[in-house]
Amino acid sequence: MRARLIEHMLGIILVTLLIIGALLLFEHRATAVHERQYAGIKDLLDAPISKINDPFERALLADCMDLYYPGRHDTNAVLISELIRFREDAFNKSMQSSYRTKRLSIATFREIAGMYLKFLLMYLIVMALTYYGVETLGSLRFIFKQQRRQQHDLLGRPRAPLFIRAVQTAGKTIAYAVLFSPAYVIAYSIRTEFNTDSAFFMILLGVISNGLLIMYMNKFYAFLVAESRKGYVENALVKNLRSDYTLSGPDGISLRSVFNPAKRFSGHVFDHIFRNARFQYLSTIKEQASFLITGLVIIEMALNIHGHLTYELLRQLLYKNYPLVVVIMLAIFYTVKLTEITTDLLVHRESRRYENR
Amino acid sequence: MNRRGFDISVATAGRSIVRVSGYPVFDNCITFLFGESGIGKSVLSKALYGFMNNTDLQIEINNNSYGSHLNDPWTQAIKRNSFFVFQEPSSHLNPLMTISDQLNEGSLAGIHEEDILSWLWQTSSDAAIRKLLDVFPKPYRPSGGEKQRILLAMAFKRIDAWIASPPSGEPTYFVFDEPTGSLDNTFRNLFLELLFNKYAVKPFTIVIITHDYSIISEIYNRHRQLIERVHFKELSRLDEDEVTVNDFSPGEYLDWLAAPRPHPSKHLVVEPVLEVQPRFSIFGRRLAIYADSQRTRLQPLLINKGDMVYLKAPSGIGKTTLAKIIMGIYRAERFSMALDGISITDRSPMSLWSSSIWGKRAGMVFQHADESLNLASTVRETFKGLPLKKHPSESDLVNHLTELFDGPIVDSFLRKKVAYLSGGQKQRLNLLRTLILGTDLIILDEPLNGLDFTSVKKVLDLLDEKRAQGGSLLMISHNEEIFEHFIDEENIYYLGVIE
Amino acid sequence: MKTARPPLVKFVSGKDGRWLCIWIGALFGLGIWDYLFLNRPAFERIINGFINTLFIALLSVGFTLAMAWIMTLAFHRLGSVKKRSGFYVLSFLLNLIRSIPQIVGILFGYIGIAALVTAGLLPGKAITFILMSICMSGFIMPEVIDLLRERIDHYTKLDFFNALRVCGVSQWRIINFDIFWKNSRIHILNKLISVFGSAMFLQCSVDFIISVGLSSDVNAVTLPTTLGSLLAKMDSKQDILAIGNTLTNPAYMPQLFFQHLQGLTVAFLIVITLLAVYQISCGYAERHRL
Repeated sequence: MRARLIEHMLGIILVTLLIIGALLLFEHRATAVHERQYAGIKDLLDAPISKINDPFERALLADCMDLYYPGRHDTNAVLISELIRFREDAFNKSMQSSYRTKRLSIATFREIAGMYLKFLLMYLIVMALTYYGVETLGSLRFIFKQQRRQQHDLLGRPRAPLFIRAVQTAGKTIAYAVLFSPAYVIAYSIRTEFNTDSAFFMILLGVISNGLLIMYMNKFYAFLVAESRKGYVENALVKNLRSDYTLSGPDGISLRSVFNPAKRFSGHVFDHIFRNARFQYLSTIKEQASFLITGLVIIEMALNIHGHLTYELLRQLLYKNYPLVVVIMLAIFYTVKLTEITTDLLVHRESRRYENR
Repeated sequence: MNRRGFDISVATAGRSIVRVSGYPVFDNCITFLFGESGIGKSVLSKALYGFMNNTDLQIEINNNSYGSHLNDPWTQAIKRNSFFVFQEPSSHLNPLMTISDQLNEGSLAGIHEEDILSWLWQTSSDAAIRKLLDVFPKPYRPSGGEKQRILLAMAFKRIDAWIASPPSGEPTYFVFDEPTGSLDNTFRNLFLELLFNKYAVKPFTIVIITHDYSIISEIYNRHRQLIERVHFKELSRLDEDEVTVNDFSPGEYLDWLAAPRPHPSKHLVVEPVLEVQPRFSIFGRRLAIYADSQRTRLQPLLINKGDMVYLKAPSGIGKTTLAKIIMGIYRAERFSMALDGISITDRSPMSLWSSSIWGKRAGMVFQHADESLNLASTVRETFKGLPLKKHPSESDLVNHLTELFDGPIVDSFLRKKVAYLSGGQKQRLNLLRTLILGTDLIILDEPLNGLDFTSVKKVLDLLDEKRAQGGSLLMISHNEEIFEHFIDEENIYYLGVIE
Repeated sequence: MKTARPPLVKFVSGKDGRWLCIWIGALFGLGIWDYLFLNRPAFERIINGFINTLFIALLSVGFTLAMAWIMTLAFHRLGSVKKRSGFYVLSFLLNLIRSIPQIVGILFGYIGIAALVTAGLLPGKAITFILMSICMSGFIMPEVIDLLRERIDHYTKLDFFNALRVCGVSQWRIINFDIFWKNSRIHILNKLISVFGSAMFLQCSVDFIISVGLSSDVNAVTLPTTLGSLLAKMDSKQDILAIGNTLTNPAYMPQLFFQHLQGLTVAFLIVITLLAVYQISCGYAERHRL
């Protein structure tokens, strides 16, 4: 475990150093490049030309330059086009001055910190909700499957009427289609009716879209199935633990225990299966978290919601405000690392317990 | 004495797994069920007990659906009052629950266990038992033998409950699937003694599935009074999937054991192949090799050309570990040996083994054929990739296989997936793969695992032949009775721990 | 006992086979509908975008497998020598990649590629495709490496690996032939199906983001058109918005299927592909009892 922690720390330090290095480099380059880029046209900057885009004035300038510096027509043309670029640049700058001036000051830092906290809070909420959803839905799916199996074992193969099966299949397909849609498809398709920019809606999107819930629910379900085939389950059956999977009755599993976050099923075979599946799933949390962050980033970026961390990242990228980009990247990286360390510690603590230490 | 017969068939969607007619259950008797592994002993008993999964498998019992068997009063009764001890104790304990919790849940709750545990562990110390109960089952701790005894303890709790219950005339069906696979003879005998004592108080139906033929001697020597209540049965194959239950004559085994063996001819020139110095340490334990069973005389393990040597130790001491140290898989400390004149110590580089020992000077047959063979390969592919001077031709291969396989070896057998072979066939294939290498030293770890009696004799004959041709063999097995009979006393070594 | 069925029937009766049919059927159905009712330029754009997306996803699958395989062998080699510093460096770097959210990593990669295209440093379209796929593979690769290493670990924990080793079989043959080819083909193929799904999803998302957010800098002109960038187009977005309109105003429904065809088609293509790939992978795992 110590080796893991050291590795995480090394990763954090390395990336931080790299990024700070990049930051300094950008700061330095930003001024240097600007100076070097327009070194050739320094003398022309003050030329009394008001409308460089006007073809007439441009031709005039070209003629003038050919007169002053004869025999280097090509070089002159390049200089003029650079001058045009410079003018455009200056024009754009003045248009976007409100963004452009955003450098790393205490105020912007505070602004970003606020966005980051919002991002973090949302991430934690969605994480908790999906974890709960994954366990609950996975368990329910497993329980229903077992119900059908038990019915089949005792009574043969019962079949619902075709119509009911068709409705079930159609409903399931639609639900799957929604759960599998990328967040932006869902969001745009209901944007006219709901305020998709609210925090509530973003959390909802985070939970249900991008296939996150369904994918990890099925992963958990796969763990349950794998565990249910193991020897200790047979052994629990020999010990006459309850093994009825109906959701009512004294021998069944109560619905309340399925929906309870703690999920205890003592005296039932499912308790053995669930405990082991949950333990197995612990190491998948890391994967789920990283997928969730990807999902959140997609939501924030694709929906263009102002004042959100990763949208800000995109915007600063657009305006080539690299120092800010780098700071936001660092924040995201720290979030992932923190999650990794937390789950590693959690897994470590749990497995130590079961290793009799 | 009441005998029930069951016609059972188990199949997956496309393939029949096993079919049998007249599978017997002798009420309130003791039945020993022999037969090579993978023939279907466990599957049939599990199907009868009501464990099989009817969704993935198609099961019929007495030409009725499995559902009606599950609802049958017989099945309902045995589920209520009997027990099934599974083989592979490690996977049959929940790794996330303490042993104490697992010994006291479901219908095991509220039954005293102290007497059972102190008998099976031969200790009266409460503290020692507590230490055992408060842990979670992990791969190496408790040991395989201890886990096995925990499962047996569960069964004994149910037996106690059955004995204490008022007479009801209900049927019982206590199944012990390879209950002694991880126990050495001392604990095996303790288990049998406890079982038969309880049986004497109030009889119940016992089925013991086993490969351990030496159990027969134990019954004949120490439990003779039970013999008329004991049935010895053997499952054998009729064709691909159909098996039949025959009587196994205990006399056959006992006579074989009693027959004098011709003394092996000694090679005239004594030529040492392997010499291992008697002291070494591994995993924080100091081990030693002795020449006597009291473990007083330290002696280097010496195998000459044409020798067959048997290494003996209680289970869990490290017989397999020593074999793996010799083969360079484990690294021991202060270890030194000479193999074919090459001197090797714990500081020798790994590349020494891969370049000049593996498959060239020494080979090893691992104990679990299921794990050692590539089950997805065909029989033919099993012999590919070996460091042979020339690739064996089709007829070479067929000749080699006939040494242990019956009948003509046909092309369809060579093309068969190893996974579809029976356990005994796999074990034999595992053996042949190493034998084809023709190395000077061959280490065999439990070579008789999973074999029926006919194959046991065949394998031993083949090994003796190899020895006579100048091979040097090191045997590791807990099957003491057979190997003590088969190998001269001077070639038996004992492994022990130095406290 | 059921009678043996021909392999094709057996394949189609499974969940994976069924969903493969559904997917192909849906593509054809959609193609015919669009051919009839969608204007020609838009139709061509969609086909072009769909093929590009599919192509990049498939290329990514190939690169992912190749890179993961090489990395796994490197891990095995470095892990079996005495000095393990190389092993630690490699696993450190791999964990670093893992700590960057896939979408962010790929986004930056694509922006880099777009910059190269703009600077005229990439000679052909093929190179752009390959670079995009490699960039994607780099961030999906860890999953596959995990699987491959897990398979090796599984067999080294059993006697399998050692039993073959002491017979003198070379360790590379054991890993590549006995473990990967003979015993893990199904696991690997199943993983690759889901890698294909991830690649589709990430590809669409990144292109959508780039086209929506960075339209002035990196746009569909510099990078190949894909479903994601098509969806981000103004008219497509309008089409999707119309779905919401239909929710409250059902009478609008018929127009959805004629007037808003472009956006709807693109969205449907994305969703049905992701769903079908997922179901195929689940069905495949069920069939082989993974």
